Amino acid sequence: MLKLKTFLDSDFFYQFKSDRVAIISFSVIFLFFAAALFAPLLSPMDPHDPSQIDIMDSEIPPVWSSSDYAEPDERFLLGTDAQGRDMLSAILYGLRISIIIGLFAVAVQMGLGIAIGLISGYVGGRVDAFFMRLADIQLSLSTMMIAIIVLAIFQASFGAELYEELAIFMLVMVIGIAEWPQYARTIRASVLAEKNKEYVDAARVIGLSSPTIMVRHILPNTLSPLLVISTVQVANAIISEAALSFLGLGMPVTMPSLGSLISAGFEFIFSGSWWITTIPSIVLITLILTINLLGDWLRDVLNPKLYKG
Amino acid sequence: MALLEVKNLHVEFPTRRGVLKALRDVNFTLEKGERLGIVGESGAGKSLAAFAIINLLSKPGRISEGEIIFEGQDLSKMDDTQLRSVRGNRISMIFQDPMMTLNPVLTIGTQMIETLQAHRNISKEEARLIAIDRLNEVRIPSAEERLESYPHELSGGMRQRVVIAIALLTEPAMIIADEPTTALDVTIQAEIMSLMLDLCKMHNVGLILITHDLAVVSQVTQKIMVMYAGRVAEQGPTRDVIQNPRHPYTRGLMSALPQQNQAGKRLYQIPGSMPTLDAMPEGCPFNPRCEYVGERCYTTVPELEDLGGHMARCFKARELKESGSLS
Repeated sequence: MLKLKTFLDSDFFYQFKSDRVAIISFSVIFLFFAAALFAPLLSPMDPHDPSQIDIMDSEIPPVWSSSDYAEPDERFLLGTDAQGRDMLSAILYGLRISIIIGLFAVAVQMGLGIAIGLISGYVGGRVDAFFMRLADIQLSLSTMMIAIIVLAIFQASFGAELYEELAIFMLVMVIGIAEWPQYARTIRASVLAEKNKEYVDAARVIGLSSPTIMVRHILPNTLSPLLVISTVQVANAIISEAALSFLGLGMPVTMPSLGSLISAGFEFIFSGSWWITTIPSIVLITLILTINLLGDWLRDVLNPKLYKG
Repeated sequence: MALLEVKNLHVEFPTRRGVLKALRDVNFTLEKGERLGIVGESGAGKSLAAFAIINLLSKPGRISEGEIIFEGQDLSKMDDTQLRSVRGNRISMIFQDPMMTLNPVLTIGTQMIETLQAHRNISKEEARLIAIDRLNEVRIPSAEERLESYPHELSGGMRQRVVIAIALLTEPAMIIADEPTTALDVTIQAEIMSLMLDLCKMHNVGLILITHDLAVVSQVTQKIMVMYAGRVAEQGPTRDVIQNPRHPYTRGLMSALPQQNQAGKRLYQIPGSMPTLDAMPEGCPFNPRCEYVGERCYTTVPELEDLGGHMARCFKARELKESGSLS
């Protein structure tokens, strides 16, 4: 209770309250996350269950529009896709998968990046040179390229069936591992600035071990840049996943993410069934945009040098 | 047996332009509960000596020669694990600026409890009680609430008290205080100094006080060591050295002190500045600034001359005795 009160009293919350963009972005993100979390309760049907899908319901337009082939149906608020799957349910579940992949991929990036960045910055010398050159190499290959190569090889060698089962895990790992240098570099830069401060000397004089000093003393002092890049990285991971799915290397059609929904609907866009691809696209764009806006706001607030009053 | 015995300590920094000898031939002993002052200009090697004692030189610095015998063990030959069990436990250190030495994002309590738990196998609750006890000892009001404070919520004097409390947490045998009052307000300096003196006496802790301030040293310490350009210029019992300085440098420092009966007159100043390590003059390093300089001073470095417990590194140490104190 007291913690909540100090939070409501803080400058941070005040800044938040007085920034309309931040409030709107946060509310939208919150809504999306809640929708994703409660997808099984909110959606009228389970899009992963083939027995609930009737092919006769295919390509029904959203309730407010009409099409040449089918009449809108009360049961399908946002229409259906080519297999007769309810778009609203598919989007809710897809959002869930996209967000899960985004968050976990960032967790992997963060874990790797923090560990490598801390060690590199604190130990310095050859260890630092080794990891930073590794990061340079990694950064010179684009994330998409690495992901496409790895996922394509995996699919080709183990078959699509196994891939479908492991898709989420694979995407998390690939996107997570491909982007660690972002974190490692940010952390390393902060560690280099922090490690020469006297409190680090003092901690060494106290007799604390290097791991303790790194994790307990230096890491908390490097958190604010971390928070800012995390928002951007979540957005990036979701985009990467969507892009991979669009290329057919991401989530399978039976368990679609936002990206696979867009991809699956893309072929019908010229036959008049625009909603199959457009609605998930709007959801994806809104999600990414609001996360980035919130990230920008966070950067401005956490960096007093950019304080605009 | 002495608490700390530093024998023939040499510290050097290998650099691009050759090996720089930052500390040469430092010898001293500290008994249990005894207080030693190390004075000298910036860059004389005072802080370096302190860091060398706890074997925590920053790279590429290294101890090239000598022994540091603390409680019967040579710190210069210990490995990291052994050293960690000494640092912060048997030897504590207090730094100049308390704002810099306390971690800005951790509460006072966290930092104190962590220190205790690093060295003793005790629970958080026990550690908390000891921490409160120490905070009371350094006269911090409402110690229990202060444990929840962050460093920025305290004033400079309070922060330094917290640092002292942390230094005393594990009941060390020796504290190294590196200019503990330099960053503080003059009125608070005196308070902190007398607090430290009281606590050292109370716990029978050995103190190495590093400072520019001869006045503080003369009041607090029993022994004094004057350093110049990485060498000991003069050392001995504080009273002897202050009243009867035998090295021209110490004399210069003494004359540079503001004094009541000299009010309104221009303060004495030692001409020139200390040579840097890579531009050391031939012979005695003090020769460009010395008013007693002779021919020998330009060719050879004088040895520390023993004048009965009081030692000075000057060819004219004996002659200077006769002319008396400059003040």
